[in-house]
Amino acid sequence: MSDGINHHREGLTTSHHDWTMLQVGKLVENQPIVIIDANSSVEDASEVLLKQGVSSAPIYDSGRKMFVGMFDYSDLMTYILLVLKKMEVPLDDQTMEMRDLIQKTNRSQNVPVKLVSDLSGNDPFCTVLAETKLGGVVNDFGSGIHRVAVMDSQGNMTGVLTQSLTLDYLMRHLSEFPQLQPVMQKGLQQLGLTNIKVLSVTGETQVLEALITMSTHGVSSLAVVNDQGALLGNISMADVQHIMKDLRTSWLWLSCFQFVSKVRLTRGVETGEDQYPVLDVNAKSTFGYTLSKLQATKVHRLWVINDTNHVVGVVSLTDVFKVLGGYIDS
Amino acid sequence: MVLDLDACIESLFQRQLLAESVIKEICEKTKELLMSESNVVHIKAPVTVVGDIHGQFYDLLEIFKIGGYCPDTNYLFLGDYVDRGLYSVETISILTCLKLRYPDRVQLVRGNHESRAVTSTYGFYTECMKKYGTSDVWHYFTDLFDYLTLSVVIDNMIFCVHGGLSPSIHTIDQIKVIDRFKEIPHEGPMADLVWSDPDPGREEFAVSPRGAGYTFGSMVVEKFLHENRMDHILRAHQLCMEGFQVLFDDQLSTVWSAPNYCYRCGNLASILEIGVEGERHFNVFEAAPENERPTPAEAQRTLFSNGVPTGLFSNGGSNGAGVGGGGLNGSNGAMTFAGGASGSNGGIDPVQDTIHYFL
Repeated sequence: MSDGINHHREGLTTSHHDWTMLQVGKLVENQPIVIIDANSSVEDASEVLLKQGVSSAPIYDSGRKMFVGMFDYSDLMTYILLVLKKMEVPLDDQTMEMRDLIQKTNRSQNVPVKLVSDLSGNDPFCTVLAETKLGGVVNDFGSGIHRVAVMDSQGNMTGVLTQSLTLDYLMRHLSEFPQLQPVMQKGLQQLGLTNIKVLSVTGETQVLEALITMSTHGVSSLAVVNDQGALLGNISMADVQHIMKDLRTSWLWLSCFQFVSKVRLTRGVETGEDQYPVLDVNAKSTFGYTLSKLQATKVHRLWVINDTNHVVGVVSLTDVFKVLGGYIDS
Repeated sequence: MVLDLDACIESLFQRQLLAESVIKEICEKTKELLMSESNVVHIKAPVTVVGDIHGQFYDLLEIFKIGGYCPDTNYLFLGDYVDRGLYSVETISILTCLKLRYPDRVQLVRGNHESRAVTSTYGFYTECMKKYGTSDVWHYFTDLFDYLTLSVVIDNMIFCVHGGLSPSIHTIDQIKVIDRFKEIPHEGPMADLVWSDPDPGREEFAVSPRGAGYTFGSMVVEKFLHENRMDHILRAHQLCMEGFQVLFDDQLSTVWSAPNYCYRCGNLASILEIGVEGERHFNVFEAAPENERPTPAEAQRTLFSNGVPTGLFSNGGSNGAGVGGGGLNGSNGAMTFAGGASGSNGGIDPVQDTIHYFL
């Protein structure tokens, strides 16, 4: 079968679980804990994300002995836009931390990351107990929460459960969850994941403009298209990490086309393997194939294209869990 | 026009570019030649097999020094002639001329970089714009790429392809019926042949982390070789620090021919010499010595074979950017990029220069 799923024959000792009953603590077992100090600078905090290869980390305030929030690329992007004075936040909407942050950036002071924590407002800090069943968390994932911090009964953090990690676990243990087979066979069209208007920018658009668009619309990535509307590439908030690396802020003024090029060139050398220019999936693909590709490429969304390479939809990790969540009750 | 291929080849060995009209002509003639090639070309040993070159022209010259010059040595090139290196244009020009001049002694297989989508962002497009001022040469070559064969079989025993295997392809005959005369699709057997990678940790196919093609394991390799009555798969596509890699109990090898990849990976490279009896020998080599390479300044100064300078120092159509800076020469609506950190002339960081050279 060429749908990308490993169709193993079941051994006699394979156990069958209900995937919704998995305890979340199990999925984050042995996870190395990455924590950011609340008083480290935003630049240092970005370094941590980059070095650890994660897209978010909890912030710990050793003075108050507690976790004060999460720091992720979305927050970083919002911070950059504020620093560049590209974002106006009405006075009423400014929380005390934000006001503090804006004042500091106005005076170009070194900004401690605790002020940038959860700045984007997109992904508030959520905690769950290790015994919580996955079925419960899936609904959160399906409504746009990208990760939850898993705590033990003493209030210690045992790990961070992300949408990516959950998908990877489910795909690796797929043979143990036969109840997932039916949804895997469904086509993307059947699941309503094609025929969606997606936000895009042309290759000419400046990176900074693209970031502002993402921020304004509350999306984490944009399709980069050529002047015929065909998919050229992708720009996402996580790409912001490349700007923070060595503080290459001049990259903000590149066109998206040039930026995408630069990112690809660097990545290919580091891994010795070039990636396909665009990460997409054909509208006629199955849900299962799409999940395999999301898992293999480790991206957070795949653009859905038709036979003329035009974008007709998008499947993000949030969409994946929305679909899976819909199957729990049936 | 009367094409003097020997003169063209001679100029290219001197790293002089061919005029645009000459490129157009050789591409037209080579397409005619390639049109009659099957998707699976059968050849006999002895032959020397070359992996990814990626525009590293000086290392291609090393390959000829080590492996012998055409037509004394038969060559099989496994693709990825362009992108990333500084001399993709010279590299593909000379290989095209050699194919046209010695069609039975030179085989060119298509790699995943022989594609419009990939060359747009990995360097070849920009290099063409810089050296010729327009995108015509890029169009001539990318149209030519559509004609390159997909695979070669040596002595009915060794299956040679750029990337690897496909879940849609079980026999050689299935490759023969593919319509290859087009841009490499996103999915399907043609994409798989140029994008797939072996995975020694697996037995079957799995979706590739590259976003195209598949990874394939031991059982897939055994089954393919058995079904097609062959004993070895030879491919390129993945960087090998030692220049080559042998997997699956000597049923599959990867040959990689770009030493010190991107002028910074520090890897070795190799060419695979296959003898008359089918003996396989990996001839490993390092990057061409520093004193035989041009300085960054010299690299920018390219000449056409009629002596007219091109690129930054040409008379017409140049953006006039200084040495070491980069400017897009009118492609994509004239976004001139001021070179950020590496704008200085003194900094000899080949990687930064490479990246800024192209953008």
